[in-house]
Amino acid sequence: MNSADLIDLEAGTLSREAFSSDEIFKREVERVFVPAWNFVGHTSQLQRSGDFFLSRCGLEPVIVARDNAGAINVLLNSCRHRGMPVCRYDEGNAFSFICSYHGWSYELDGALTGVPKLRERYQGRLEREKWGLVRARVSVFYGSIWATFDETARSFEDYLGGDMQFYLRSLLQGPDGEDDGYEVIGGIVKWQVPCNWKFGAENFAGDHYHGYSHISVERLSIGLSGKTSRHNFAAVKIPRQPMSVADPRRGHTIRASVYKELGPYDPQAGSSEEVNAYYRKCHEERQRRLGDKARLLIHGGVIFPNTHFNSAGRTTIGFWLPLSASRTEVWRWLFVPRKAPSIVKDTLRDYYLRYAGPAGMVEQDDMENWTAAQRGTESPIARKYPFNYQLAMGIERRARPDEWLGEEVIITEDVAEHNQRAFYAHWARCIAGEP
Amino acid sequence: MTPVETAQAVERLLLEAEVERFFSAEAELLDERRFEDWLDLLHGDIRYWMPIARNVRFDQPQLEYTRQHSEANWFDEGKDTLKKRVAQLLGGDHWAEEPRSRTTHLVANVRIASVDSDEITAKSRFVVCAYRLEHDVDLFLGKRVDVLRREQGALKVLRRAIYLDQSVLLSRNLTTFF
Repeated sequence: MNSADLIDLEAGTLSREAFSSDEIFKREVERVFVPAWNFVGHTSQLQRSGDFFLSRCGLEPVIVARDNAGAINVLLNSCRHRGMPVCRYDEGNAFSFICSYHGWSYELDGALTGVPKLRERYQGRLEREKWGLVRARVSVFYGSIWATFDETARSFEDYLGGDMQFYLRSLLQGPDGEDDGYEVIGGIVKWQVPCNWKFGAENFAGDHYHGYSHISVERLSIGLSGKTSRHNFAAVKIPRQPMSVADPRRGHTIRASVYKELGPYDPQAGSSEEVNAYYRKCHEERQRRLGDKARLLIHGGVIFPNTHFNSAGRTTIGFWLPLSASRTEVWRWLFVPRKAPSIVKDTLRDYYLRYAGPAGMVEQDDMENWTAAQRGTESPIARKYPFNYQLAMGIERRARPDEWLGEEVIITEDVAEHNQRAFYAHWARCIAGEP
Repeated sequence: MTPVETAQAVERLLLEAEVERFFSAEAELLDERRFEDWLDLLHGDIRYWMPIARNVRFDQPQLEYTRQHSEANWFDEGKDTLKKRVAQLLGGDHWAEEPRSRTTHLVANVRIASVDSDEITAKSRFVVCAYRLEHDVDLFLGKRVDVLRREQGALKVLRRAIYLDQSVLLSRNLTTFF
């Protein structure tokens, strides 16, 4: 199989097999997910030594734990003796993890310490240092925790690339522009959708086009702006240029806007005076800190392959966890600015809950549509007809209005399927094993 | 039983019957998609809360459900947001419910936990089944704790805590009310 069997970049089409073929699913598990760096959580979830939570690194169940030296460990949650998960609590604080089957126990850094009958029946010959929990490589980037089990993978910074380091760093800046400005709200939101994981990924990667999906919520006012809109930035009066930003060599994508100029704070009529006072202060502070770069508004994006995020006054990060070609589990972390007063945190939390996830008035319609689209990839005749990704193809304005928007990324202004094409081109090369 | 005890027992039975009838009528409004009438049964200050269930150690049951007002929840909202959800449902353009799902709400094991002047706390179990389109089935089971307040003779839901037994939600959406 080569990438041309899946994607035709000149025609702008992608085979529907990408969403329903079990063979392609097996390949993407090995070739897309195993070599990837994955978002696994956030340092604010690990305040004290011994704090831990369960997550996934690609498809692997992992424990993310802070050890007594303060280091963050990402450990395969699978006993080296019989494969049992050694931790079955979603989160907590522990000294060690003990397998409930035969009682092997492991330290917070994965070292195997306790083995029943070590002396009597293993005759002291079990080399415990070789039988610790499998440890992932870990990288902490402005508070976000990333991991991979691939020993041959390049560093996380190289995996991201210089431009995406800028965008991810920006995403993790508080509303006042301070680095590592967010903390996680307790409780990771997890649910399952009967569709291929890539429907979620391509939507987050660059779909500025699917406004029709959300007309039922666009006639209401669910953001803080006070306007009939789902977005907080509906309150901003300065014109902005929407863009699709893609790193074609790495498959990462960003949806963003750039405001025409820096301007004063526009109050959000749908939120209280205290909330507006906080955001006004942040707005000014952000302009002081970032200068011209404060014109950037990140809407969301995907770090290849399956880490997704939303932004623009609504910071959430998560992943699409593929269970099979036709079923996906979603994990979503909700973030609020660390230093914000509690009224701001509460206001944002309420907004996230009515916006995102299976109870979210916006994302419900996404999940419904992706589920229905999945059915369109499964029957033998329908799946022979490729999907169309021709939106704004060939008329892309490869504008680079501002140098700081990146060196290697390709930027397309306005509504386009440029990011989806870049995402799938990289995906198809991975599947085919092409460099 | 003394006459006083008998009178108290009868009063209690009548109250239980009234609360059960209230929950049945409410379920019927939802299943008949009379959402605006359903809103009328909710107190203006209602807090409608469905936490997310976590898997926790036996001795930390207080961590099992995410906290109201501070953590992520499936629902944690007042009447304003519920009204918006109803407005979204009524437009015919909310694709997750267009065409509409067929739902059946069962409320069972209703028990009055306490009565405090005009407030009644009732515990119950629910089964909500939603069939959608041709093949989709969503099944939700759990426990509910309701605080009902009597206003001008009529019961209104002042607080509703909905403890869903699922941890990872096995459905793509929560487009029905509980």
